[in-house]
Amino acid sequence: MYSRRDLLQSMSAGFGYLAFAGLSSTLSRSARAVDAAAGSGNPLMPRIPHFPARAKRVIFLCMQGGPSHVDTFDYKPQLVKDHGKQGKYGGSLLKSPWEFRQRGESGLWISELFPEVARHADDLCLIRSMQCDQPVHPGAMTQMHTGTAQFIRPSLGAWALYGLGTENDSLPGFISLSPPAGSSRNFGSSFLPAIYGGTKVGRSGMRAAARFQNRGAGESVPDIANAKLSEGQQRSQLDLIQSLNREKLRRDKYQPGVEGVIESYELAFRMQDAMPELMDLSGESESTLALYGADQGPAQSFGKQCLLARRFVEAGVRFVEITHGNWDQHANLANDHEARATACDQPIAGLLQDLKQRDLLKDTLVIWGGEFGRTPAAQNGDGRNHNNRGYTTWMAGGGVKGGYSYGATDEHGYESVEQKCHIHDWHATILHLLGLDHERLTYRYAGRDFRLTDVHGTVASEILA
Amino acid sequence: MDWNGPVSKAIVSLACAVMIAPVVAAEPISADQQAFFEAKIRPVLIKECYGCHSNKAGNVRGGLRLDTKQLTLLGGSSGPAVVPGSPEDSLLYTAMLHEDFEMPPRRRLAGDVIADFQRWIEMGAPDPRETQMAEIRATISGADIQQAKETFWAYQHPQDHSAPKVSHESWSRTKTDRFILAKLEAEGLKPAGDADAHHILRRLCFDLVGLPPTPAQLIFFTEQFQQNPDQAISVVVDRLLESKYFGERWGRHWMDVARYAESTGREVNMTYPHAWRYRDYVIDAFNADKPFDRFVQEQIAGDLLPANSDQKWSENLIATTFLAMGPKNVNEQNRVQFSADLIDEQIDATTRVFLGMSVACARCHDHKFDAIPQADYYAMAGIFGSMTTYFGNPPSEFGSFSSAQARRSSSLLLVPVEDPNPYDKSYTGSELTELRSEITDLISQLANLRRNRQQSSGQNAARDRLRITNQIAQASAKLAVVDESGNPRTYCMGVQETQTPGDARLLVRGEIDQPAQRIDRGFPQVLCDHSPRFETDSSGRLELARWIGSNENSLTARVMVNRIWQHLIGQGLVRSTENFGVTGQSPSHPDLLDHLAVRFVESGWSVKTIVKEIATSRVYRVASEYDESSHHQDPDNAWLWRAHPRRLDAEAIRDAILSISGEVDHERPRGSEVAKAGYVRVRDGFLGDPRELAQRAMEQARAEMQGDMRQRFAGGQNGQRGSFGGRPGSSGGRPGARGRFNPRGQGRAGQAAGFDRSTAQARMAETMQRISNQYTNQLNMEDAKFRSVYLPMVRDQEPRSLVVFDLADTSAVTGTRESSNTANQALYMMNNRFVIDSSDSFARRLIREHSANGERIEAAFELTYGRKPTRGERSAAIGFIKKFQSQGGSGQQTLSALCQSLFASAEFRYID
Repeated sequence: MYSRRDLLQSMSAGFGYLAFAGLSSTLSRSARAVDAAAGSGNPLMPRIPHFPARAKRVIFLCMQGGPSHVDTFDYKPQLVKDHGKQGKYGGSLLKSPWEFRQRGESGLWISELFPEVARHADDLCLIRSMQCDQPVHPGAMTQMHTGTAQFIRPSLGAWALYGLGTENDSLPGFISLSPPAGSSRNFGSSFLPAIYGGTKVGRSGMRAAARFQNRGAGESVPDIANAKLSEGQQRSQLDLIQSLNREKLRRDKYQPGVEGVIESYELAFRMQDAMPELMDLSGESESTLALYGADQGPAQSFGKQCLLARRFVEAGVRFVEITHGNWDQHANLANDHEARATACDQPIAGLLQDLKQRDLLKDTLVIWGGEFGRTPAAQNGDGRNHNNRGYTTWMAGGGVKGGYSYGATDEHGYESVEQKCHIHDWHATILHLLGLDHERLTYRYAGRDFRLTDVHGTVASEILA
Repeated sequence: MDWNGPVSKAIVSLACAVMIAPVVAAEPISADQQAFFEAKIRPVLIKECYGCHSNKAGNVRGGLRLDTKQLTLLGGSSGPAVVPGSPEDSLLYTAMLHEDFEMPPRRRLAGDVIADFQRWIEMGAPDPRETQMAEIRATISGADIQQAKETFWAYQHPQDHSAPKVSHESWSRTKTDRFILAKLEAEGLKPAGDADAHHILRRLCFDLVGLPPTPAQLIFFTEQFQQNPDQAISVVVDRLLESKYFGERWGRHWMDVARYAESTGREVNMTYPHAWRYRDYVIDAFNADKPFDRFVQEQIAGDLLPANSDQKWSENLIATTFLAMGPKNVNEQNRVQFSADLIDEQIDATTRVFLGMSVACARCHDHKFDAIPQADYYAMAGIFGSMTTYFGNPPSEFGSFSSAQARRSSSLLLVPVEDPNPYDKSYTGSELTELRSEITDLISQLANLRRNRQQSSGQNAARDRLRITNQIAQASAKLAVVDESGNPRTYCMGVQETQTPGDARLLVRGEIDQPAQRIDRGFPQVLCDHSPRFETDSSGRLELARWIGSNENSLTARVMVNRIWQHLIGQGLVRSTENFGVTGQSPSHPDLLDHLAVRFVESGWSVKTIVKEIATSRVYRVASEYDESSHHQDPDNAWLWRAHPRRLDAEAIRDAILSISGEVDHERPRGSEVAKAGYVRVRDGFLGDPRELAQRAMEQARAEMQGDMRQRFAGGQNGQRGSFGGRPGSSGGRPGARGRFNPRGQGRAGQAAGFDRSTAQARMAETMQRISNQYTNQLNMEDAKFRSVYLPMVRDQEPRSLVVFDLADTSAVTGTRESSNTANQALYMMNNRFVIDSSDSFARRLIREHSANGERIEAAFELTYGRKPTRGERSAAIGFIKKFQSQGGSGQQTLSALCQSLFASAEFRYID
């Protein structure tokens, strides 16, 4: 199941540990099964999943604010017919300002808000029956990431990293690109060891704040570069630090902590090179930048992030999340939803195409979705309110059926009525695609075994390719 | 136990309104009534009300849900929606009349519809939407609880056992040692020999005061230790216990479990500008060796304890900040949910912090493992539900305003003894007038907006409303903290009893819309010898505090001595320090745990006594030396055949760097950065609105630059004047930093004589950078020189210097910190400005104090490692100096790089 390259990689990742433990049982130690007790050896070493994985890595495009499903991926002809009539829970029904058309060979209905993504319709697996328990943003965002809003729990990405380890020893295994302020819980590790938490890269989009940050122009990870020493000088310094550390280790004979310190400096030194290099897009061709919409225009910022995400997963990062915010149109839907979509349509389409042409889409799971959808009824004339009882997310690549639509909401789009996919089911399905059984991926904390899905979750097996 | 509590208790408290809803007998409803309801009432509810007031629609404005009969009777934050038989007391009806509320908003229902509702309520509001009030039977019986009491170790009171017999009598220094040695002998393990004097001193200094030993202390101790080790240790322990640094060290340990923080955390992160008073209270308590039982009581019920002076009363009130400073989701839309979560957090913190037991597990169902039925949780919920928690900001004379995002707010407590913080703002008469007229103006703007709601377009009006609401809240917050003449008032966070205490209802699966039977207030049964009796009209909280802060329960003393043991030895006797339940670890040395607990109580609950008892024991001073055969037999070192090598915690690392570099400021700063900022929302790592702060920074920069220009033209060309010029200590730019903007380096241009364009630009850049640092650094405080315990603790924005080394999660009760070694730490040590600046200071100190390079190297090792370098280390250092200088490093740069390497090395951050 593991290629020679995988093995070599994992061996180098855990070399310090192996050197200590003796190299006799490399196979079992380097690719140890998920169920084996954590705590011994390198916690980030690649692990064998519970069953063969369809997806090896994840790119999660998190659409913060709640994009409207009835204006994007959930076609509701009845809503058009009943436009202006009284809605089920008050308010008058509002038809979508955008036209829906059937796309690709599969004929999936997608609105003109996402013309570029729509070209990849035959790769998309729409889940049109999403549900979560939280009607307001903070709670719903937290539940989407951790399964619950009531408690502080590990994030989906942290669980994935805990279950699978990572494949590049020069990079963090879980990266969150430009997460919104105050959302650290959404990519945190909670009670899982901190090493599984997401590493925040880049800053959230507040321009006013960015004005302050000129010290960090181009800086991506805190303290990634030294302001004073040349590379040669720093290497000399590092050699001194490591020789002091090794001498201590020699004196102490057995000291996993010191071993860990030694490893950490080597990784940090590699990260200093790898991270800025990986994040430096100056070597990308114009056509690549254009593919992602990262060359100019409104999609530039998100386009760069999508390109970064591709570079990260290609380099072996297990889980990358990108946030695209501000879908919360209680008013002014027509203008603002359009602007949000324009800023991400080309980048997402570019990402899908690039992954495909690099043959990465087959085992990279791309997930798109917000914390909830929006009501079919109007608010403030041309806006829509939150709707957590029925909305749409989609997945592509990594073992899901392309050109497929799963589940359905009622005639207007208020509530999921067929093949309901609660956020717990969604989580169970994502883990399943990664080769992880959501009921077996547990962590013992405060005396009991915790799961991402708590006591819930059913894999939506119909969507598996 | 009687599951059905009295049903007649009066309803007063809003906070616990949900739990004490009146029980209405389920009277059968007639066919006519049913028809009336279906024809006239239900359709209107669905059409007009559910959009904003229904669980199903997911929208619960004002906490009001009209889904079912029970929820309708329960009402929302303003009271019951329907009082059967009494339309004028029914908010649902009066709101339709637009009396106090306007419902539906901006529209009056037709007269006949309103008349239908009047009629319906008059006929007793017959409602077929019946949900059965459940009666939950416990799966844990009285017999189960009794059995747990009799059999489980933690529920039996600690007994002082006589010290066991050991073969090597002379090894023991204290009774503690005999318990340890007896186990070692029984296991056939041999304890390691004593550690070297310098190791022992380093342990003592870091463990007791969180600071490294000075070279003078090292010389003194080493000499004394050679003559009489017991006495040497005893003397040093006494001195360290007397030092004010002790409280700063041990206070921080307490703040970990008390989840100390200065903001609410979560998405809408509002500051707690007065939380620091609790921090100082804790530090002072540990320094004064306040009896721990008293310390516990004050934190749970300081507001109810007798106090013989205003000073004491103030202290007691501040102590209750413990209950108020937990993490909160102030953005919670549903007031009832918020209240339930608040109580839950208080129960969880109280039981885990003091009793090492997780009662909050029983919120949703009987505890799966421990003998804690769900009813025990709601028995405590009644106690905590009978108090009001103060965590927000006081109302101003204009009323109580909160920003649109901070939906759930509250006031604060006035401290009886005035103790203003130097940051506290006072206002002159004219400033007050201005502020008042600003608020009056804003309020009328808002009223205008509301009046003209129909005309104005949706988006803009909504945006303006939001903006003005936030502005009012902000201005009102400013005004609220001063008295009528503009002088600051002294506030603290905390709790107060509501007027009439009430029992809570058990909630099925912990869900607020599933209330079941009422539960008598009480304590966890498995810990009680008999049911507690409360004074009439007492909520039971004072009784709870006195019971927890005593040896009447079997846990409080044990939990605390176990924590002390952990901080000194490296691992608790019970390793799960906050879980002494069935799912926790059982004690490795139960008799020792009991001995220490009994001794703790007998000493008058003196923390310092127990610290000394452990620090002067033999087991504290054994070496951490590795032994292969012992390791094979006992890989976790559970029997303590050697000392646990321990990584220093975050505060000790930062404080040691400051101390060694000679930069540390040992004065306690008054208040905190958060107090300075006041009651604001934390965004993007800024205390306040980043846009506003950016504006303020620009203004400041402009003003400074204008001032500088004037000065320059008036006062000649002295580039070192004013706020410019290279600060001592700021050093040059990175060679080859690829043109990266590096104003700190360019700041040196201030020494240039002329005032040409490029120097002007450089100055401007430096000013901008300095001012920008001032704002962006506000929460990291890389330039602060005081001890780490005083750094601002804003949830989710804790200082990087501490977070990177596993600071306790400020949102969780944390008795045992993680101790990781990550690449992030390595990057921090290699590249962070604080570390680099401190290394520069360290190098300057060495140059100041020693003239020869060899001496400087010796001193550098002594200061960082608490010992002289080995031969190998010395030659590695000399080799490094040669190499580094050949790479272009100046003498001081090279020494600084060496100092940084020592800070960065493993030995510096480990105690062996």
